[in-house]
Amino acid sequence: MGFEQVLQKTWRDNLLFSVLVELTYRCNLDCFFCYNDLGLRGEPLRTDQYLDFFAELSDLQVLNLTLSGGEPLAHPDFLKLGACARELGFVVRVKSNGHALRGEMARRVRDEVDPFLIEVSLHGATAATHDRQTRVPGSFDRLLANLREMLGLGLRVKLNSTMTRWNEGEIEGMMALADGLGLPLQLDPEVTPRDDGDAEPLSIAPSREGLGRLFALQAERAGSGAAAVSVAREGDEGIVPVPLAKHCGAGSAGIAVDPYGNVYPCVQWRRPVGNLHRQSIREIWSASAGLREVRELTARAKEVVDAHGAAGPLLNFCPGLAATHTGDPLSVYPDALRRAEVLGEVLEQEKKRVLLPVVP
Amino acid sequence: MPALDSGSILRPARDLRFRRIDDEAVVVRQRAGEVLVMNETAARLLELADGRTSVAEWVEVLAAEYEIDRQALEQDILAFAADLAAEGMLELAPPPEEEESRGV
Repeated sequence: MGFEQVLQKTWRDNLLFSVLVELTYRCNLDCFFCYNDLGLRGEPLRTDQYLDFFAELSDLQVLNLTLSGGEPLAHPDFLKLGACARELGFVVRVKSNGHALRGEMARRVRDEVDPFLIEVSLHGATAATHDRQTRVPGSFDRLLANLREMLGLGLRVKLNSTMTRWNEGEIEGMMALADGLGLPLQLDPEVTPRDDGDAEPLSIAPSREGLGRLFALQAERAGSGAAAVSVAREGDEGIVPVPLAKHCGAGSAGIAVDPYGNVYPCVQWRRPVGNLHRQSIREIWSASAGLREVRELTARAKEVVDAHGAAGPLLNFCPGLAATHTGDPLSVYPDALRRAEVLGEVLEQEKKRVLLPVVP
Repeated sequence: MPALDSGSILRPARDLRFRRIDDEAVVVRQRAGEVLVMNETAARLLELADGRTSVAEWVEVLAAEYEIDRQALEQDILAFAADLAAEGMLELAPPPEEEESRGV
């Protein structure tokens, strides 16, 4: 059996395989379009609760554990939790803004957490744009210095960038920057509402032209043999999409947990299905009525996408985002339709280009 | 690595991560960024290689599970463990006194 079949099994048989933990919503940057619900209140999970939770996840044979935030390094026990995750045998990913990943901290992350991957946010190819989005002057220069330091330490790093109206003119620059550092770059073409439904971030959603240029550049790079630039679907990160009866692995192979112990089917799908203050993850995973509903919805979401025929895969449809956008996880939201349309046009143009006769 | 014998104590290589999904082991070699799916036997050996129990103790456990001749089982286990070690998946654990002196 290959890895893809294993993933199929996790989706089909509801085997928890990947968990994203938002350790804290504290952050040393102040990104304009941050999706965290900073108004959310509750009792933060204590460190001892995290340790018990991680041990239970290990018993459940969860492989991938992503430490996220906010800025995960802002959690006072980040290193302790990361080291525990390593000891328990998880493949640890850290999603960070990179601001604190330097010097002693970067070395300790390498030596004590030993992450498989550190995913760092890049907001532009220039200090003006990057710092405009992070709202912290100097954050771009510091990030570049930190990236070089991380690479020097042998850490595996990937750049993640959300395309916005502010940085869409710097896509080529960001690709060049990533190439120059020898790092993979993942561009997310979708600015999302905040987790509380606040649509303010959408005010800087990329333009139609920006989307078209991104997709064209991707096609161009794919054809030229340059390093691929992937397009994100956040919730399934680390999971290869597999053909199945479900649209995604939300609530079937993965979950997300916020700092207050609320458990969600996916980082994008903020529909609580349990809380770790009241139940163990084993209880939630096996008995949550909310999770059962989500699993049924992911099967129905596949039918929704399939109904779009060849355009279906181009939607990059996310039931969680559909729920945030429209209140209905099965409603194909306008951004997905627009993206599919633009991508379809680009692919059509590429097809024509390929068909052009080659003149010596 | 020296030849393995029944007294050898092994543990997974430091960069190895693995989980059992039903009858198989999903193995990630972090440095190489490689994912492997291995069979039931490999999954069981990786579980048993905890850095504390010897190969002889594995034989006891597996003999009870599979009702196989112990001598043949031990030879098979040693051969398979040597293969996993040669692939860099298993390594000899330091002697207990060395672990203690390091405060582990």
